[in-house]
Amino acid sequence: MTNAHLASLLPSIAIPMTLPDDGKSLPWKKDVVAARRGDHSAFASLVRSVQRPVYGLCLRLLKSDAEASEVAQDAFLRAFQNLHRYDEGRPFDLWVIAIARNLCLDILRRRAKVRTEDIEEMKEVLPAGDETQENRAIAHEEHKSLEGALATLPVEDREVLELYYVQKRTTKEIAGVIGVAPGTIMARLFRAREKLRKQMAPRELS
Amino acid sequence: MSTTQCPELELLFNELSAGSGVSLEHAKSCERCTEILNEHRELERELFRLSDPFPPSTFLHQVMARVAAHPVSAYREVKVGLAIMFGAFTLALGALVMGGGIGRMGILAASAVVHSQTLAVGLNSAISTLWAAAALPMLVSLALVLFAALFALKRLMAGAPQFSEVKISS
Repeated sequence: MTNAHLASLLPSIAIPMTLPDDGKSLPWKKDVVAARRGDHSAFASLVRSVQRPVYGLCLRLLKSDAEASEVAQDAFLRAFQNLHRYDEGRPFDLWVIAIARNLCLDILRRRAKVRTEDIEEMKEVLPAGDETQENRAIAHEEHKSLEGALATLPVEDREVLELYYVQKRTTKEIAGVIGVAPGTIMARLFRAREKLRKQMAPRELS
Repeated sequence: MSTTQCPELELLFNELSAGSGVSLEHAKSCERCTEILNEHRELERELFRLSDPFPPSTFLHQVMARVAAHPVSAYREVKVGLAIMFGAFTLALGALVMGGGIGRMGILAASAVVHSQTLAVGLNSAISTLWAAAALPMLVSLALVLFAALFALKRLMAGAPQFSEVKISS
């Protein structure tokens, strides 16, 4: 991995956090300062405090326990290695979440590329009817629950719904993580909810 | 039943989040909009009920094992140190040039070269006198300085504490 690529994963450089310093207590600051000096137990304390939302977002985006755990661990490792770039006036959890998100998007891009190549190969082998039938069966199963319906949405919809509804973040915080204006988050939330509603509709009819 | 035209859904939901607006007023008297709003509220209620799962129980230990296996590179610290040194040097040079001290510094340097022989002779004489008067204390002092320097260097090279030294409570 090149330095330029590494830098692109770090939100403190690529995405400026737009949260204001409102003078609230900064519970992570002491641990961050200690971790910067090489205190591993202070960093362990930081990981403990934010591991759930970081892992949760990874799982929501990647839809695989093993991959989510791997990527979340990687995100924490990068956070530790780049603590000197972190501005402790900003929320630590959002900084790590932004790193984890970038790593997830990288994996999804790679995954999409591999799948496109696989599908091209499969088209030559499988009859078209079988594939459609299988897809229909999968879709039917997925519509059975809200979680399932959520999982069928595109990644950009899943991430805003996860951050807003599951993690209860504000649109301003989400905008800081994703690197867009807060108004854009409102629009994306609306579109995501609409897609989710449509996905859930067959369940209600059946 | 409302006689005005039904608003865009996005506008309606935004006004619902804000708590007031013309579209919300319209919805109060429109059956269709009320139904949409109820459906929207129900979906939001369900969404807010979702929660993140806990990571595997070994997660923290795995993270810390990775952290211990990939210490922060000394290269970065050297780079930062060099940058600070270079910055300080540039500032000092700038101050000298701005204050017209370059000429004075040249005179001082030339004077140091001229008087270096006297300095060397004086230093040699001082060491000889010290050696003759207190050889043992001088040797002990030198040994202590050397030991302290080596110990500090060793600590510096060892870097952060190892993973085995870190206590992690779950």
